[in-house]
Amino acid sequence: MADKYAKIGDYTAAEAMVINAARFLKNFDCQKGLIGTGLPLVATQLAKLLYSPNMIIFVETGQADAKPEELPISIMDSRLTYGSSWQMGDPEGLFPLSRGEIDFGFIGGAQIDKYGNVNSTFIGGDYNKPAKRLAGTAGAVDIGVFAKTTVTLMAHQKRRVVEKVDYLTTPGWMVKKWPSGEMVRREEMGMQGGPNAFISTLGIMKYDEDSRIMYVDKIFPGVTPDDIKNSTGFDIDVSRASENEQLLLEEIKILREKIDPLNVYGMR
Amino acid sequence: MKSKVVSLKEAIQEIQNGDCIFFGGIVEDRRPIAAVCEMIRQQKKNLVLLGTCSIPGDLLAGGQCLGAYRGCYTSNGAFGISPNIKRLSESGKIVIDDIGHLDLSLGLLAAMAGAPFIATKTCLGTDVLNPEYDNLSKARAIARDARTLPDKKYQLMEDPFYDMGLVQLYPAIQCDVCVCHVQQVGEEGTVRIDGSLTFDHYAVHAAKKVIVTAEQVVPEEYLRRDPNRNQIPCTSVDMIVEVPWGGHPGQVYNFYDMDIPFLKEYAQGCVTEEGFNQWADKWIFDAKDHEGYLERLGATRLEKLRSIPPYGYKPRRQGGI
Repeated sequence: MADKYAKIGDYTAAEAMVINAARFLKNFDCQKGLIGTGLPLVATQLAKLLYSPNMIIFVETGQADAKPEELPISIMDSRLTYGSSWQMGDPEGLFPLSRGEIDFGFIGGAQIDKYGNVNSTFIGGDYNKPAKRLAGTAGAVDIGVFAKTTVTLMAHQKRRVVEKVDYLTTPGWMVKKWPSGEMVRREEMGMQGGPNAFISTLGIMKYDEDSRIMYVDKIFPGVTPDDIKNSTGFDIDVSRASENEQLLLEEIKILREKIDPLNVYGMR
Repeated sequence: MKSKVVSLKEAIQEIQNGDCIFFGGIVEDRRPIAAVCEMIRQQKKNLVLLGTCSIPGDLLAGGQCLGAYRGCYTSNGAFGISPNIKRLSESGKIVIDDIGHLDLSLGLLAAMAGAPFIATKTCLGTDVLNPEYDNLSKARAIARDARTLPDKKYQLMEDPFYDMGLVQLYPAIQCDVCVCHVQQVGEEGTVRIDGSLTFDHYAVHAAKKVIVTAEQVVPEEYLRRDPNRNQIPCTSVDMIVEVPWGGHPGQVYNFYDMDIPFLKEYAQGCVTEEGFNQWADKWIFDAKDHEGYLERLGATRLEKLRSIPPYGYKPRRQGGI
């Protein structure tokens, strides 16, 4: 049975992230998710084949129970329309969120902080002259405010996993109270939900129930606690970490052959 | 009712410098690309773009037509951050005022309902509400008529009705012109959209003037056989232009799929100002008009993109690109 497991080097870091995310989505079978563009969509498609066949996918451009036959490459790819239960527009795509019907949101981003706040707007410099302008809010704000919980997917690098995000796009556990901008617990703002996990190229991070600070819950095979500490911009707790199960050859095969045969997402 | 069919040139001449404009569609889907190329040919200035940016907004930015952008998405989806917007933003040469996706939906819903504002919890706790990043007044200074934009970005208050705590009062969105590219329109303006309606069915009610470009202008009577399948009433449309392939290089559901090589070329070519200018010379100015643009593309390339039933797109496994 040993040959059912993949060896380090049989897959890329992006593939490990996506496959581990698909496994994590087992927790959301039979639930309604609002899925963001990019790799979250890939992980969702893989999860539906392997681990959570009854997961229901909503997309912010107005599909209910989307069942794409081919991997969509954007948040409004025609591939999302065909096979959906319902195709309306962006308002109707987002209103299930603001009605409180969405069980989980699944998004990417450019930066995440220790409270799970995510930045997808700009990095470095000033808002009016940033070092790097990004995509902006899109649905990321609304998912963070209204979904019952959120999962974030992002490469694990020191400049991405930081003490404090340059711009708070998706609200995590500690958020800004205006007009002063002081950081307060999201509950204080009457906001439900909050982040559930951050899945990276190195492991799975959860949030402490009391402090709401990110800690390492699972480490991917071939990765050490020090690798994670060295790739994180704050002093992250690795004391509770255990090793995740090695990837299955079958998972890699399905990802490559069934989900993204043309390598549209450049994962390999 | 009188026919509203005009030429693309005539329709775009109705747009004034400094107008607040809204484009239908989103990312690569049903974007009014041919209309935007004509706006660049006519060298519109200081437009204030509301909504999502992606290709049409990025073209306007590169073509030096754009003064400010208020919206929620400065990306060309899978093809990276909108390159002209990115370059102008990073050199501090464009006013950006970020709002949320639901903000946009609710602002248009308020406009559609004739309500001055709407209450929501969205954006609470985020930098969208950061007063330091509030560029609304800069956008107002650029707009031809500042009153088209609200006096204030938002107002916080405690929910007086259901005890939901703090909420944001968000103003209705108004614009001077809304330009939508759709599958079919009747001569009197009735619109039938396939695939996502994006914001079009709301945004037309927020605009003083509505221009619809369509893959096909069809007999009005044909669309009136099944009014439940129509999303925009004839009464909300002012001008109609038939522009086949008017959303290329994006997709139009049931008509054609994305032109991925073209989109990649745009993303790579337009990183620099010089690169965009070369692109614009080739595809906008030298091409002279939309017919010239299509001639340059050629029938073989376009045929590869044609959607097939029942999917509404061209499956990659069947030779799509």
